[in-house]
Amino acid sequence: MCQLCEKYGESNRWYLNPKNYARPIYKKVEKGKEREPMILDEIRAPLNLIKPLIDLKDKPEAYEEAMKEFTKRQERMVGQVVSLDDSKKMVEIAQPIARIDCICRRTFRATLEDGENRPRSCLGLGIGMFRWEEWPERYKGGVEFLSIEETKKHLEHWHKRGMVITIMAFGTPYIGGICLCDYPDCIAIRMRMDYGVKPFLLKGHQIAKVKYDECIGCGNCAQRCQFGAIKMEVTTNKSNIDLMRCFGCGVCAYACPQDAISLIDREKLPSLKEEW
Amino acid sequence: MLPIIEIEKRKCITPFECKKCLQVCPQAVFAVAPTKVDRFKETDPEYYEVEAVFRDKCVICMDCVKICPTNALKVKAGGN
Repeated sequence: MCQLCEKYGESNRWYLNPKNYARPIYKKVEKGKEREPMILDEIRAPLNLIKPLIDLKDKPEAYEEAMKEFTKRQERMVGQVVSLDDSKKMVEIAQPIARIDCICRRTFRATLEDGENRPRSCLGLGIGMFRWEEWPERYKGGVEFLSIEETKKHLEHWHKRGMVITIMAFGTPYIGGICLCDYPDCIAIRMRMDYGVKPFLLKGHQIAKVKYDECIGCGNCAQRCQFGAIKMEVTTNKSNIDLMRCFGCGVCAYACPQDAISLIDREKLPSLKEEW
Repeated sequence: MLPIIEIEKRKCITPFECKKCLQVCPQAVFAVAPTKVDRFKETDPEYYEVEAVFRDKCVICMDCVKICPTNALKVKAGGN
């Protein structure tokens, strides 16, 4: 079973439990002390935390030790893939929602989604969004508050274009963001895929399965998988999804012209139900 | 051994605005971030720096060295 659901779900999926959107995200400030700009730590995490980690790769023992510690630390900021359907359920319980610039793409490709020339892709959740103006560098380019219907359209738009929908906790289990991700610029996908840091991005509650007879071999699905789980089998000219590698994002299912890929519950498959 | 990527900060002045190395790199090795944040104000472009974060993925193709307009980048194989 999904450990997050077990701990924080209250017999539901953890991200569909309204309590996990209602926690205070700002730490209390001691009297007489000024609130630390934690924003800088967040923005600089790739440079200040991840770079020193990778610098240790020449020393395998030290690297392994540091990686363990890093993985433990990341549990407080857990991420998980969600399907489009589940993300639409989330937006009905997570208010307010604001469209913001993707900080991963800004950090790793220096692209800025200013809303004018480029549409913003990331979604920030919760009351913290009302205070974005205090730290405009974090929310560079500004924020745009969305209605529930607008948010659903936003999710459909990016999912259709091939983005994986993920959720990010800021102080697990407090859910603070819905991200639209692809490899390599999404730090969560990258840290999971390239460095095996599991809590950065857990697999989703579904897996994508091809109906063999209905696949016409167009290859749309294989082109879009961000996790390297799909290939076209040369001799049969059919799509093959490695279910051990599948994260269940549903990007392939959305792209299939034959509707030949369906999302099924991970926990119904004995070999996959502990594979997160 | 990991490749060695040196960035001369003195020559690399506004990396977020220039962004050439960040975008050309096939391995997405680089990351750019501000060195400070202020309340109620975005950070000025000169308070940004670029670092080679994922240098274990660098294949030493030299695309970044060739494209850098200020010759701020040096890349070489490690272990020499």
